[in-house]
Amino acid sequence: MSTEDNHTLHILPERHRSDASEPQDSGSFKSLFGGPSSEDGKETELDTHDHTHGFSSIKAPAKLASQNVAPFLARHIPEQYAPLGAQSILPAELSSANSKYCYRHRPDQKCRRQADEPSMDKLQRELESLPQGDQQSISHVWSMFSAAPAKHRKLILQGIMAQCCFPQLSYISATVRDLIRIDFITALPPEISFKILCYLDTTSLCKAAQVSRGWRALADDDVVWHRMCEQHIHRKCKKCGWGLPLLDRKRLRESKREIELRATTWDKESVEPQTPEASTEPDLSGKRKAEDDEVAVVKRQCSSLGPESGEVEKASDFYKTRYRPWKEVYKDRFKVGTNWKYGRCSIKSFKGHTNGVMCLQFEDNILATGSYDATIKIWDTETGEELRTLRGHESGIRCLQFDDTKLISGSMDRTIKVWNWRTGECISTYTGHRGGIIGLHFDASILASGSVDKTVKIWNFEDKSTFLLRGHTDWVNAVRVDTSSRTVFSASDDCTVRLWDLDSKTCIRTFHGHVGQVQQVVPLPREFEFEDHDAECENDAVSTTSSDADPPSMQASMGLEPNGAYNQSSAFGPSFDNGRAAPPRYMVTSALDSTIRLWETTTGRCLRTFFGHLEGVWALGADTLRIVSGAEDRMIKIWDPRTGKCERTFTGHSGPVTCIGLGDSRFATGSEDCEVRMYSFQS
Amino acid sequence: MAEKTLIMESNDGKKIEVPIDVASRSILIKNMIDDLPEGAFEEAIPISNVSENVLTKVIEWCTHHRSDPPSSGDDDDTRRKTTDIDEWDQKFMQVDQEMLFEIILAANYLDIKPLLDIGCKTVANMIKGKSPEEIRKTFNIQNDFTPEEEDQIRRENEWAEDR
Repeated sequence: MSTEDNHTLHILPERHRSDASEPQDSGSFKSLFGGPSSEDGKETELDTHDHTHGFSSIKAPAKLASQNVAPFLARHIPEQYAPLGAQSILPAELSSANSKYCYRHRPDQKCRRQADEPSMDKLQRELESLPQGDQQSISHVWSMFSAAPAKHRKLILQGIMAQCCFPQLSYISATVRDLIRIDFITALPPEISFKILCYLDTTSLCKAAQVSRGWRALADDDVVWHRMCEQHIHRKCKKCGWGLPLLDRKRLRESKREIELRATTWDKESVEPQTPEASTEPDLSGKRKAEDDEVAVVKRQCSSLGPESGEVEKASDFYKTRYRPWKEVYKDRFKVGTNWKYGRCSIKSFKGHTNGVMCLQFEDNILATGSYDATIKIWDTETGEELRTLRGHESGIRCLQFDDTKLISGSMDRTIKVWNWRTGECISTYTGHRGGIIGLHFDASILASGSVDKTVKIWNFEDKSTFLLRGHTDWVNAVRVDTSSRTVFSASDDCTVRLWDLDSKTCIRTFHGHVGQVQQVVPLPREFEFEDHDAECENDAVSTTSSDADPPSMQASMGLEPNGAYNQSSAFGPSFDNGRAAPPRYMVTSALDSTIRLWETTTGRCLRTFFGHLEGVWALGADTLRIVSGAEDRMIKIWDPRTGKCERTFTGHSGPVTCIGLGDSRFATGSEDCEVRMYSFQS
Repeated sequence: MAEKTLIMESNDGKKIEVPIDVASRSILIKNMIDDLPEGAFEEAIPISNVSENVLTKVIEWCTHHRSDPPSSGDDDDTRRKTTDIDEWDQKFMQVDQEMLFEIILAANYLDIKPLLDIGCKTVANMIKGKSPEEIRKTFNIQNDFTPEEEDQIRRENEWAEDR
């Protein structure tokens, strides 16, 4: 048992003093015990055992006892008295070594006080019911024990237990387990407490914050919630299957070191002079504020419950986040997450086009839509107001994309136009396809366009060069550029999806599987993780490799490690061998065969097919958390890419759904019914 | 073939002979071994922060896990925080809270990360799914909030129940 200690004693004199107002006897015994460790009712039974063990001296008359006891106490207590004064220096030492003093006898910790009082009173009453002499000798035994150093205590306990009969031992074993209850979170060094808290789920963490002040300080801390954000935001936590929509992942990453430092230096009262806030704060704030102006300057709201002393308040200021606490950030995202989950959303509709809406994109409060009425409209998503109409195309607009400075559109009139969407001015017009332009995508300085003429055209803004990618045998409906790997995906009415190498200008992989015209292809963000690689849907999905890199890619597709494929660039041929980034590992596609498919690009396998739409799937959006699809059947469906489950179906359009935009807390759909609808899951 | 051993001495003066590969589960000991020349371990290594019964328990764990692969990059738990504990470890951790507490401190001091992990997970599992009052009961904690504060904090945390 008591591994602990001599330090038990350090506190004794103080406790004696604090209890001095109480009656002499009770005062001393209350302070002597951490808890009810003895039951005097068994006294008589003990007698009978005494003889056999020859321990009768314990039951000695009062006089004799005081002769023995007094010197014993005098020997042990006074010499322990001195260190008491030095105890105020504890915190730093405690958090590092922590075993110099028994944590339960630290001056700042009231040890089981409240819980013990009832049982102490009971003990007191029972003691008082005994004759004076018995009271005294029992009290002596107790004070003797209390004064004894750890080693002696152990010996005394061994002796007592050796005399116990089974019912008494049973009493001990039943009592002891209940007595040993430790406030781990406040007693352990903060670093370890954080580690424990980081194993909790959202709900349990929020419960933990309600336990006590000490728990709240730790369970609400940025250290814990930053971790929670890392685990859940923009990806699904493997444990709880819960994912939260994105936020600034950059901010999350950049604050990581700061948070780690915080975890190791955390101290509730943090009277640490070595971090003058003047030198660290401004520089920090400047940096963080600049990159995330959404971050409100909010002081931790718990400060009102914190220590009242101004001194402490000021010193611990350093440890208080000047910015939005991570718990708040997490909470917001969590609310959006639950709204997605339960389909709680507000719907806005945008009416103004006079023909089917074929493409759209939104960013912040700007929504751009292109229609068969040959116009592009810019809307304010907050007010629902139509800001302006871009006119110039001579035929229906099938595709568009915008960024801060420009909007690029593709039309059935075979041209691509670049607009200043803020003014409505058409900056330039490009011709080059022999058919209507039905898909486009740009990233950095590369623009790809897909056309009715069965080709993909690559436009390089930097050197003004262009070239064609030939291979598809029917209309090219969608294209996606991936700048980091210098590749392009394309989806075609020929029922295939192709992956092209922009360096060699060749097709490096063709994905077969869809039995209808493929309308959309969306590469998934590289953070997307998929575990269930064996849940391959059918055998009809195979890919062919058209480069001469066949052998390595075959090898790769056969013995590929489910998780280690990122550096398996060679799956795409020798030109990916020397450090060139591989194309995104996963992509989703939709087709007029009414299905959506999830593919692994490294192997060309179809990992999953999503069934549920009744007619062809025209529109598709996807991020790490969900897939959103719109179809000829006028329905919009939300899918979990991992399980393949359809989580929700939205109806509302009176025509086929032709395009979709997906954001972290909302999505927008356009339809042949001329209308655009925006579903917002923001709380 | 005799196993190479060293002697660890607990803070209460008990000497325990331990095979080197078992003791090396402790990174603290391992670094010590790596730093010192062969034969420097005739004398007992004092483990000044750990008492005999705790040290024995820790060595029991190290012995069972002596041939585990060295823990892979310690950042792998950013992604997984699963609180699943393997069966043997679960049994091993069926001890009273004092022992659990001491094991955690010892694992921290001796730098045995996997043991620290399961210790922390064990405590986390004791917290999980409980109401604040149940948590207080489990760890014998006094509720030091005023009723008003308690109410306010409960409302602040209500959002987490919506799932």
